[in-house]
Amino acid sequence: MMDNEYYEWLKTKEAEARQKQEQFMDRIAGKLKRPRQREAPAHPFRGAPAYWRELDWSLEERLARFEENFTAAGGHVVRLANFEAAKAYIAAMAQTLGARYILRQDDPLLAELGVDEVLTAEGARVSVWNGHRSEAWITRAAEADFGIVAADYAVAYTGSLVVRSAPEKGRSVSLLPTALFAIVPVDRLKTRLGEVLETFDKAGREALPAGIHFISGPSRSADIENDLTIGVHGPGVVFALLVG
Amino acid sequence: MSSVKERADLALNNDFLRKAVRFTTERLRDGKRKAADDHGNWEEWRERGRQIRLHTIAHLDYYLHRFAEQARANGAHVHFASTGEEAVRIALEIAARKQARSVVKSKSMVSEELHVNRALEEAGVETVETDLGEYIIQLAGEAPSHIIIPAIHKNRYQIAELLSREAGEELPPETSVLAGFVRRKLRAKFLEADIGMTGCNFAIAETGSIVLFENEGNARMVSTVPKTQITFMGMERIIPSWSDLEVMATLLPRSATGQKLTVYMSGITGPRRSADGDGPEEMHIIILDNGRSEQLGDPEFQELLNCIRCGACLNACPVYRHIGGHAYGGTYSGPIGAVLTPALNKNVAEWDDIASASSLCGACYEACPVKIPLHDMLVYLRRRKVEQGYGNKLETAGMKGFAAVTANSKRFHQVLKAGRVLQRLVVRNGEIPAQIGPLKGWNRYRVAPSLANQPFRERWDSLQHELRASVEQTGTGAVAQERMREALLQRAAARPEGNGVPGRTHEVSGDQDGNATVRKEGQTYDG
Repeated sequence: MMDNEYYEWLKTKEAEARQKQEQFMDRIAGKLKRPRQREAPAHPFRGAPAYWRELDWSLEERLARFEENFTAAGGHVVRLANFEAAKAYIAAMAQTLGARYILRQDDPLLAELGVDEVLTAEGARVSVWNGHRSEAWITRAAEADFGIVAADYAVAYTGSLVVRSAPEKGRSVSLLPTALFAIVPVDRLKTRLGEVLETFDKAGREALPAGIHFISGPSRSADIENDLTIGVHGPGVVFALLVG
Repeated sequence: MSSVKERADLALNNDFLRKAVRFTTERLRDGKRKAADDHGNWEEWRERGRQIRLHTIAHLDYYLHRFAEQARANGAHVHFASTGEEAVRIALEIAARKQARSVVKSKSMVSEELHVNRALEEAGVETVETDLGEYIIQLAGEAPSHIIIPAIHKNRYQIAELLSREAGEELPPETSVLAGFVRRKLRAKFLEADIGMTGCNFAIAETGSIVLFENEGNARMVSTVPKTQITFMGMERIIPSWSDLEVMATLLPRSATGQKLTVYMSGITGPRRSADGDGPEEMHIIILDNGRSEQLGDPEFQELLNCIRCGACLNACPVYRHIGGHAYGGTYSGPIGAVLTPALNKNVAEWDDIASASSLCGACYEACPVKIPLHDMLVYLRRRKVEQGYGNKLETAGMKGFAAVTANSKRFHQVLKAGRVLQRLVVRNGEIPAQIGPLKGWNRYRVAPSLANQPFRERWDSLQHELRASVEQTGTGAVAQERMREALLQRAAARPEGNGVPGRTHEVSGDQDGNATVRKEGQTYDG
């Protein structure tokens, strides 16, 4: 597909777009009756109100509020003392739900969890997502009963898990399987959304992954007569395992 | 095109539609109220949201340019389209170059503006809406009637019928079964589609990222699974930074559905990285003007560009709650649609009758998370319509006539006198119930009062006399004064206990008049 002709076409389109872009900007400046703004303007109202940025809950409160919010959205929250307990929990759930296909991210934390051996011993097939290896990854994700991810952050105030994409961490792992398990080491649990969002500003464009996903419960819809349906497109069963 | 009145009549005759719209909007409105209360300091957040939007729009050339440059640096292909047709042309070109056979779409109001589905279908590309509500109305061949809940007007039986036709078997009208069918059906579509199309809730200038809010996961699907992603973005969707996103993420879901956050909020920064195992290999962002820049520098309408498309104004609007979204006739309905549609379509003659579909109560402004003064804008629109000569001829004649009559007191008197004689034809028991002429609309649910037999002006001489004479000199005045004096005496006599609670003083008896007066006072205090 990426042949020469196509590449040439893309270049033509880009030249067109750059020209058009100048027209757009000139028109905006003209309409606003001032010269083009070429320097970053001072932005005095950036981010949340000042009072809000001071909100900082204790770990216990963060845990309680996360559980409350995530549960209210239809998710499940389990507090576990250590990885050993998390491993046992996932294995038990796999047995209860009869999960046969498991897909997990290639995250050192999940390797340490050591869930693969247990699940494989039970007869399940465990795949470990890694874009560096050639594999029909999306198919692996679509057939999976369980997707297992390590959350990069969690947010107590909104009851959200945060997952960043990487070659070892496919976006599909938290999207296509029927059930999603997210391991959340408790020190990754923040109070406010802004604490996580600010890290993206600080990191800057080059450091951002292609996909950053905030997940606040199971996929849902109320489009049929306001009747709540769970698991419309994404996972219908979502577990947040708070470890530590 | 039919008028808003005809479309509203159609909606008013559809009992289910009216009930469904009312139920849904009330649910969403109450949800929003509760979410705003729970969050606290809502006014401060609204003001913050407004300031961020005002600032961005005031420097849109800087921020939009920055976004485009950063998005390119991320590896995305950025396109600019002045009109809807241009945007569609670009999308079709991409589809043709990619030899795409099928497109999966997540909800995007911009793409509704463009009618891109029709264009793609005509080019032989299968186009599937994947939001559950959008999918339902696509099967029905209709347009969304609510910005957040597009199939608000369909009941489960109608939905079961539509989906049964698609399934080739009879599906029961149960939500879980119907949703389950759609999940399986669309899962296959996601996996085989060549192109995924999304809208864009916010675009972050600093990093060239787009942000999508959704509950179902279909927007994630279309931006993860197909090899090519096309994102349609209104040119005003920009916010400067991720920090600003916290404010928008606080305002948007709460205002739309009362949620603390939608189930999924996704920030997408460019196509997949080379070693990524999923995500689009190619990402196109089509930035659309389509009438938006027309609002810039217009003191009356620039704030329209602050809109974050939450739908709170629809849920708050008493008119929307009665007539539903289709009656507005455009892509956007409710108060925002009543202003945005005529603003984006400069064809005033055709569109602005929807500006009249409002009682100007201001509930939309109160509900708006970024404080857009929609009710003022509706008045500006009406004014512009008249100024441009698109006013109602009869209304204009009526206004001119009114001016001519009231400018001269003699003429005014003569007209009233004539009116008192002529009204005898239609007055019944002091009221005018006839649904004729200009009274047709008004008298459908009410009756108009008749002109008084003796006008106030004719009574003025004797009334003036009574006022001028000292109170004692008039008959009624003397009686009233006497009564008040007695009442005061009784009150003084009743106070010896000194409990001081005025409401209790009326226990003591007096003469008929006084007693009545005091009791009345007691009732007032007792509430």
